[in-house]
Amino acid sequence: MNSSRYIPFTLGAPALIWQMLFLYCPLLLIVGTSFISVSATGLTLTLQKFITFFQPTYLYVIFSSLLLGFSNAFLCLLIAYPLAYFMASSRKHCKNLLLFLLIIPFWTNFLLHVYAWFFVLEKEGFINHLLQSLQIISTPIAFMNTLFATMVMMVYYYLPFMVLPIYFALDKFDVRLIEASLDLGATKGETFRRIVAPLSMSGVRAGFFLVYIPSFGEFVIPELMGGDKLVFVGSIISRYILGDETGSLGAAFAVFACSFLLISCFLFHLLLQRVTYALQKP
Amino acid sequence: MLFKNPKPRILLILCTSFTYLLLYLPIIVLLVFSFNSEAFPSPWKHFSLEWYKELWHASHLWQAFCNSFLIALGATSCSLLLCIFFLFHLAQGGKVKHCISLYYGNIVIPETVLAIALLGFFTLLSIPLGLLTLVFAHTILGLGFAIPILYAKYLDLDPRLTEASLDLGATPFQTFCSITLPLLKKVLIATGLLIFIISFDDVILAYFCAGSASQTLSLYILSMLRTGICPVVNALSAILFLLSNVFALLFFSIQTRSKVF
Repeated sequence: MNSSRYIPFTLGAPALIWQMLFLYCPLLLIVGTSFISVSATGLTLTLQKFITFFQPTYLYVIFSSLLLGFSNAFLCLLIAYPLAYFMASSRKHCKNLLLFLLIIPFWTNFLLHVYAWFFVLEKEGFINHLLQSLQIISTPIAFMNTLFATMVMMVYYYLPFMVLPIYFALDKFDVRLIEASLDLGATKGETFRRIVAPLSMSGVRAGFFLVYIPSFGEFVIPELMGGDKLVFVGSIISRYILGDETGSLGAAFAVFACSFLLISCFLFHLLLQRVTYALQKP
Repeated sequence: MLFKNPKPRILLILCTSFTYLLLYLPIIVLLVFSFNSEAFPSPWKHFSLEWYKELWHASHLWQAFCNSFLIALGATSCSLLLCIFFLFHLAQGGKVKHCISLYYGNIVIPETVLAIALLGFFTLLSIPLGLLTLVFAHTILGLGFAIPILYAKYLDLDPRLTEASLDLGATPFQTFCSITLPLLKKVLIATGLLIFIISFDDVILAYFCAGSASQTLSLYILSMLRTGICPVVNALSAILFLLSNVFALLFFSIQTRSKVF
């Protein structure tokens, strides 16, 4: 009797154990190893690795990654909000079609998108051909291996992550709130600012962090589109990890950079809260 | 909604169509060039299927494709199975309110950090890197999607249905199998598709945790990209694009208004 009662409760455990074993243990491990140095005498606790990272070069890389993440999230927001708004306000079959068309590129391997942009941005690529045949430029522009190409690819890839949360926030929006606001004498602009925008902020916040955090650690896109001149956190980590004998330094650098990411996330969270309050004010 | 009046509406339509144009322009250029008889820098010559033929004979690529497929299948079934166990636990009145937030971390942590943490962990336990380690890693990603989504959907279910079933004499196991699971079937399938495609397309985890012996399709494409443009990749993209179309269509027909994202 007793044993059969415990079966359902033990069934909840596998997922939790898996989670602990393959997510939290590894994370604790890299945090732990970044405080430990191995020498001939044994293991010692040390902050040495972090102190070596407190240099202008490393800090510069971290801040450029933060900036990359932020500008990516901001550009995505600028493009995604009107799109999500249009989607949410259109008729049902149109809505589904737009959603479907948004999901297809999202569900295709993103390396193929990188590859596709090669064709568009190369010296003999689509844009240069177009501009040359329109006689706007005479010599082809080198788009590839620049920050521009990296940004285009980043925004392109992360756009759905921003559109979908905003769309779902706007989609379940109660239209009667807008009617009430208009009936009570607010103008359309005011209604948008004080009713629609604050209530869609949950979507904006989710989208912002869904774009900001992964693009901080991104290293495949900058490497393929930006060439080797642009260095971000992800590229440094991968170089350390794949190099010989520098694996533990890579882990330490990841922990070091993530602490900056955490602080910035907290600040952005506060900022978004402030924005929401400011919007609601008359 | 607001802004039904024409002027801002037209602006919105322009914005949307421009975005969709940008979204599809590279894909269309890519597809067109996969039928070109000459390799990329030369302009359009005439229609040919020669790159598709070459793709058909690239045995390394198909090996990588099979690997990716197996990994995605493994990760999907693993995470769905764990998730069903979890739901059963939940259905029996298990208290999960506090540990549910433990599952949000999986997709919030930058994937690069997750990848190197797992790499360090596997190296420490001297588990040889390969397909199995990738299944473990992708299951973590899968759980991060599956558990929050299914938990939310489970809370939306009407509790009276399961209560009725229990009152009428069904055992908890019977109730779970014939009431709770069928009600969640659509969400389970949609989440499964999502996990499959995420695992299939994953680059970063595979980059670190695959080891040198096993190659996934993403890693194969990455190595081809490093060497430059090759029309075989165009042909491959056309096929993969078609595949993701089929998946998205399946996903949509299963659940038009799902809240998976």
